[in-house]
Amino acid sequence: MNQTDVIAKLQTIFDDVFLEPVVLTPAISAKDVSEWDSLMHISLMVSVEKAFDVRFRVGEVENAKNIGEFADLILKRQQER
Amino acid sequence: MDTGRLKKLLLDGDPAFWALLKQQTRDAQAFDELFLLSSLRKKARARHLPDLPSVQEKIRLAIVGGYSLYPLQELIEHLCEMEGTTCELWTGDFDNYLSEIMDEASGLYAFAPQVVLVMPSENRCRYTGAFTDPREAQLAEANHVVRSLLELAARVHEKTRAEVIMTNFMLPARYDLGDYRSRSAGSDWSFRKRVNLELGLEAPPSLRICDLEFLSHRLGGIASRDERSWFESKQAGSPALLTALAREAVHIIASLRSASKKVLVLDLDNTLWGGVVADDGLEGIELGDTSPRGEAFKAFQKYIASLKQRGVLLAVASKNDYAKAAEVFEKHPEMVLRLDDLVSFKINWDPKSDNIRQMSAELNLGLDSFVFVDDNPAEIEIVRQFAPEVATILLGPDPSEYVAQLQDCRWFERSTITAEDLERTKQYQTEARRKEFQANITDMDSYLESLEMKGALSEFTAVDVPRISQLINKSNQFNLTTRRRTEADILALMRDPACVGFSMRLADRFGDHGLIAIVIGQVRDAVMQIDTWLMSCRVLKRQVEEEVLNELARLAARHNCASLHGVYLPTAKNEMVRDFYPRMGFTLTSENENRREFELSLKNYSPILTKIKITRRAYESN
Repeated sequence: MNQTDVIAKLQTIFDDVFLEPVVLTPAISAKDVSEWDSLMHISLMVSVEKAFDVRFRVGEVENAKNIGEFADLILKRQQER
Repeated sequence: MDTGRLKKLLLDGDPAFWALLKQQTRDAQAFDELFLLSSLRKKARARHLPDLPSVQEKIRLAIVGGYSLYPLQELIEHLCEMEGTTCELWTGDFDNYLSEIMDEASGLYAFAPQVVLVMPSENRCRYTGAFTDPREAQLAEANHVVRSLLELAARVHEKTRAEVIMTNFMLPARYDLGDYRSRSAGSDWSFRKRVNLELGLEAPPSLRICDLEFLSHRLGGIASRDERSWFESKQAGSPALLTALAREAVHIIASLRSASKKVLVLDLDNTLWGGVVADDGLEGIELGDTSPRGEAFKAFQKYIASLKQRGVLLAVASKNDYAKAAEVFEKHPEMVLRLDDLVSFKINWDPKSDNIRQMSAELNLGLDSFVFVDDNPAEIEIVRQFAPEVATILLGPDPSEYVAQLQDCRWFERSTITAEDLERTKQYQTEARRKEFQANITDMDSYLESLEMKGALSEFTAVDVPRISQLINKSNQFNLTTRRRTEADILALMRDPACVGFSMRLADRFGDHGLIAIVIGQVRDAVMQIDTWLMSCRVLKRQVEEEVLNELARLAARHNCASLHGVYLPTAKNEMVRDFYPRMGFTLTSENENRREFELSLKNYSPILTKIKITRRAYESN
């Protein structure tokens, strides 16, 4: 899996939960998506961890500045398994 | 969980979406599944997907507590809506519940809720002193915590007249403190257990407890917690716990507004017993202590009987041969349920939905008061289609799980405390004093008397043959001769007119011990030879021996025998009955290392008085 694959899989999760369609790119971030607020974020992360079978460490998701960095974090945690 | 079909129905604008959404919501296990279903529901509402015409009740629910209330509120909102209740929600700020409740001008009271869920912070449920402080001080602090919580709940209730639901506290799940955790009332473990216990016992009827201790116990203590989600977003527990908590809260909210079920309608074959009575016959069905499967079915019946004691009405709907089905209830010795336990007994070949409709008319109870249990998916489906108000339980493939299925169905729960309950409490207290008195009695006679024992003696019957054979081939200790016999041997004995064979069952007020003694006698030259005498060791010293001897003497007299002859054949395991016959009044007539023979003259035999009430005797057709 590379960053593009991860973003494609993230796209399906986002399609499921967001009412308004969002097209994910490496540069897009939470502040670009009005529905992606801090509350939605909590549920979204539970779904992402389950879908990719990863567990993020405390506080590290919020350090990812955009979807590209978030996808890289998923890859990093996946490789540790 | 596959949501492909659900998404397609949504895209097609098909109202069938709603029924499937409800179904999948009921079945969803994990947080992410429920979250996805909730998102789909919002999408459907945003697209104005027409809902089936149904009366959605509205409810104003406020949630306050020492935690972040999202995403819990999202789950609760979704589950409520799927239960037919639209939730108007107001949520307090993180850990602001004390001031929200105390301040009369707070948003909580402006919202005028009908139900308030209060989730006190577990950080405030902790002993503040040392583990080694006097226990009185530790327990006093626990009681103080309980009083504060009850006052908080009372205040919400007084100000809003709302029903109040309060969560209690999860217990720690780490090894911290070791075995000392249960030795000090100051440990989080003991302190919270105490608080939870008192809170539940002291809660007034207007307060319902959402039992986090139980929910996390069910889920697993480790699986219920998630430290990261506390540090990151102040969650009450892991996503799995939030899911369980949301379901429980919604269950309580729903139970405030609907009555529990009243009638349990049962199938017979492979539900109350194993096998098909019309094919296998009374002797062939699996029921009772002979086999593990038989035990499982008996346990299921016992649980059903306990539901009856709680006030649930029992009924039977079975496609069966009436006479054969009724015979099991009347004659099978291992049946727990009897015909007079049932309010309706429908044995015919009509659809079960028709039978349940008839019961509904006869009992004057709505179809929505009925729960139907069957092992056959086709029967369940017919009832679902033709009497959809009836709740159904499709039993799984393993009868050992039947009890759990009923215990988890959630349709026969109690929620309110009535004046009757309080009256009953008084009766119990009187009863408790009586028992305490009994417990003080030390002499054996009074003890035996207090057991209220009932004994039933029976000639060998076809139904009992498997159990008789099992005991004959397994009993080692209380077994005078250790003669083993097959089922065929026993059936042959039953046909032999010179042979007497009987068993004894014992029950007392603590329960039924089942078949516990077996005797075989041979009549020869006016003497009754005791071929076999064995008993289950769990009923020793309960005067069963005496009653068996009484019966032997009675039957011997009937066969014109003047005496009983007994023999003890020693084995490695039956030393305990070496002196059994002399203890019972027999005299030793001959002895060598392989056998000891005894005799009891019946000329002046008078039955030994015991504390066992004999309800039936062998070879008497009663």
